[in-house]
Formats: sequence, structure tokens, C-alpha cells
Amino acid sequence: MIAFEHVGKRYGGRFEALADINFSVQRGEMVFLTGHSGAGKSSLLRLIMRLERPSRGRILVAGYDIDRLHASQIPFYRRQIGVVFQDHQLLFDRDVFANVALPLEIQGLEPHEAARRVRAALDKVGLLHREKALPIELSGGEQQRIGIARAVVNKPALLLADEPTGNLDPQLSADIMRLFEDFNRIGTTVMIASHDLALIARLRHRVLRLREGRLIADEHAAWEAV
Amino acid sequence: MTSGTSRQTQKPASRDTASRRGARSQRTGLNSRVRAWSRHHRAMARDSAYRLVRRPVASLLTMVAIAIALILPCALWLVMDSAKVLDTELDESATLTVYLSASIDEAQAMEVADTLRNRPGVAGARLVTAAEGMAEFQQALGLDDALSELDENPLPASIIVSPIDVTPQAVRDLSERLEDVGGVDEVRLDLAWLERLNRLAELGQRLTLALALLFGLGVLLIVGNTIRLAVESRRQEIEVVTLIGATHAFVRRPFLYSGAWYGLGGGLLAWAMLALGGQWLAAPVQALAQSYGASFVMPTLGVEGSATLLISSTLLGWLGSWMAVSRHLKDIRPR
Repeated sequence: MIAFEHVGKRYGGRFEALADINFSVQRGEMVFLTGHSGAGKSSLLRLIMRLERPSRGRILVAGYDIDRLHASQIPFYRRQIGVVFQDHQLLFDRDVFANVALPLEIQGLEPHEAARRVRAALDKVGLLHREKALPIELSGGEQQRIGIARAVVNKPALLLADEPTGNLDPQLSADIMRLFEDFNRIGTTVMIASHDLALIARLRHRVLRLREGRLIADEHAAWEAV
Repeated sequence: MTSGTSRQTQKPASRDTASRRGARSQRTGLNSRVRAWSRHHRAMARDSAYRLVRRPVASLLTMVAIAIALILPCALWLVMDSAKVLDTELDESATLTVYLSASIDEAQAMEVADTLRNRPGVAGARLVTAAEGMAEFQQALGLDDALSELDENPLPASIIVSPIDVTPQAVRDLSERLEDVGGVDEVRLDLAWLERLNRLAELGQRLTLALALLFGLGVLLIVGNTIRLAVESRRQEIEVVTLIGATHAFVRRPFLYSGAWYGLGGGLLAWAMLALGGQWLAAPVQALAQSYGASFVMPTLGVEGSATLLISSTLLGWLGSWMAVSRHLKDIRPR
């Protein structure tokens, strides 16, 4: 699903955010990306989302070299990726339903079909009863679940999350992670950047460790050794 | 990558029937894409109009600024348009007066008129006998009493010649040629004022065009600035929709509609102000014209002019918005 081949990323010619990154993620895998802040987790996700281009190397997503995408193809590429942000990036001027419907609106889905999918996504995150609420009326955990509903509403093949539990307490964090596991179980490839090492260790998935822009460990199912 | 292939990549991922149904409806062809496109256009036209209405004072101020910028060139154009009516009347009056020798009698005068009529470059020739000339003179000046005291008619017979080509140079050439005709005493034409008027009309037209361009640019800047602020205030929204796969066209659309609404609103205001202003000025202008013994109809935009004003103001709004959005979208890169 994702393959990094000798990928490096420099900003402004000096600062090396990522250096010689090599890994691949299979379709249907669930992977954690970890490391201190500034280790390059966000840069790596931004590269996959094609918000930035690598200075070196090649990134393949679903078999495509995404560096070769024409500017006009990028929006359509991004529609295959669901993204969850630490600050969830909800739009506060519209209700929960409209927020979750946004990706479908962008794709131009028929309204009744969109409504059906929005309700399905809201149901999955357990917030169907809040569809008419404004994001501001929701708790932090609820807002994050709406963010997840929006990321999965168009059933993306790949789900990326950047510190999705960064602002949440441990109980809520565990709930959110369980949600990601649910989506992974139905076949979605999931990649989560997080520095919550305790939580990651408990979840027993593959972990990619970054330090100062380098991939220092790729621990496949480390829990088996425990 | 088309959405068709994107569906294929995810199809094996989710196997529940709901997602398959979703996949099928996504792959439907051009027809549904056109429907989606026009649906989004309608939604954005509504949404941007609603945003304008929600902040009525700010929207109205922008529209008034646009209207003021539009009124000046429009008013000047109206003035020039009514001057053009005068101009064509002048062209028609670009005639030559051929005075005949006093010794010629009426029969001879008719012969001369026939000769002139057959000359190349002459559209028509009308004989004004000495008696007719006197009558016209009396009527025009209202000097019945004074002239009736004259024993003899001092006026010579004359022939009014209308040239085919009314440009000053052609008229001048024709007058020189006609002077050689037998029985002709003098050919009179006054071209200097005609030429001056022509130059003035051209100057006016160029001035109108220059002003229209200048103030059109003004409208672009007014709309551009307003839209720039709107883009800035919706920055987060633009970032989010870009992140989840919105095309530039999708992001641009609501702002383009806002610009078009601003332009249309400004155009309507300008139209209303011109109509009101015209009515306000009509009475004194007509009184003034009457005092010169002329009838003058206040110029109006008419259907064609109104349509031109509204369409071009809407297009200007749209274009101003397009320029502003394109410029600022480059600055907005998702974090």
C-alpha cells in the first residue's frame, strides 16, 4: 500500500527532516509511527498526503509514484486517503452532519446517498444522535470522533492519523484507538503517528520508530516476543 | 488518477454490501458528474448570496463602491451617445449653398440646378428662388416688417447641394469643382466648426473608453479586495477541503459567485442611480433645450445598454474575484 524507497526531505536546503527512509506497509496493515516531536513523523505523513514532495527517493502509494502525479490529479489522489488530525480540523460554522458530509460533497455524491453514508459513519463512531449539533457543543473526545467519521466517510483505502489522541485522556485515547482497530479490521490500511508509547505498546501492532529524521527501528509484532 | 480507479483500489478493502453499492454509484459516468457539478454550482450560488445577505451593510458598501465606479463612464457614454445624434444631424446638414449670379433668371437657375444635379459627387440639388429665399429669411428672423419695406429683393437665387460624401475634405473638393459651373457666383460652406465638432466627438469617445477602462480596473480592485478578505476569513475551511481532496475549481467556486453577485448588485445600483439621475436632470435640460428652440430627449440606457451594463458589471465582479482567489490560493498551503 505504501512504500518508501530511500526517501529524504530537506527544508530550505539545510534542515534535514527525513533521511534515507525505507519501509513498506502492506494493504490492510495497521502501523504506528513513533518518535519524539521533531523526529519527522508529521513530515512523513505530509509526504504521503502529497502536501510536500521528497527531496530524494521515491514514494509509492497503491502502486503509484505519487511524485509523478500531475497537480490536477492530486485532489483525486487525496480523496483515497482519510486523514485524522490532532486538532481534528472541524469547521465550526456548520453542524456535525455537514462536517462529516464534506468529503462526499467534494466528490459530488448524490445527497441522499451522502446522507446515508454520513449516518453510517456517525453511527460507527457512536455519535449518530449528535448529527445536528455544532462542533463547539461537543467535548474534545467527541470532536475527535467526528474528525474520524469525516476521515472514513468515503471509505478510504488508507487512513492516516497525526497524533489523534494528543489532547485526550488515557481512557478516551484507548477508545479512539479501538475505533481505528475496527476500521483496520474491515480492511483499511491504517497509519497512526503517536508518541503515546504506553498506549502503542499495549495495542501490539507494527511500530516504525523515527529519531532525528531516521528510521531507527521497524518492529514487526513486537508483542510476540513479550 | 480518476475516481474510477480509486474505487477499484479500495474495493477489496471493504467487503460489506453497503460499500459495494457506494462503489457502483461512484462509478456512474459523465451524467452524474455533470449533475454533481451543476448541483454544486447551485449550492454555491445560493450559499454565496446568503453570505452577502447575512452581512448587508458591508455587502451594500462594496456594491455602492462598484456602482459609483460604473456610473461615471456610463454617464459620459450617454452624453456622447446623445451627441452622436446631433452629429448625424450635422452630417445631414453638411450641405453646400451655391449662390447664383444676380443676373440669372428663374428658368436659367433651373437649368443650373439640373447641371449641378448631374455632377459626380452630388446627391441632390434644391433650387431656392430669390422669392423663396426671402420668405425663408423672413420666417427665420421674424423680420417681416423690416424686409417688407425693401423695394427689391436683394437676395440671389441659390441652390442647396447635398454631397454624397460628407467628410470635410470631400465637401471642400466638391465646392471647388462647383465654383467653375456657369452661372455660379459663389459656393459657401463652413467646415471649420464641423471639423472641430468631429474632433471633439472623437476626443469624447476616447475619453469615455479611457474612463471605462480605468473604472473597470477600479471595479476589479474593489471586488478583488473584498474577496481577498473573504478568502482570508475562510482560510481554515480552504485548508481543510484542500486536504481532503477538493479541486481548485471547487475551492474557487463560492468566491467566484460572491464576486459575480457583487458585480451584479453594483451594476443594478448603477443602473438605478443613472435612471434616477436622468429623471432628476430631465426637466432643467429640456427647459434649456426649449429656450434654444430645440427639442431634446434625455438619453437613457435602453434595453441593450442596460443589458451591457449588467452583464459587464457581473463579469467584472467574477473576473476580479477570480484574480484575487487565484492569487491567494497560492499562499494558502495546508499546515
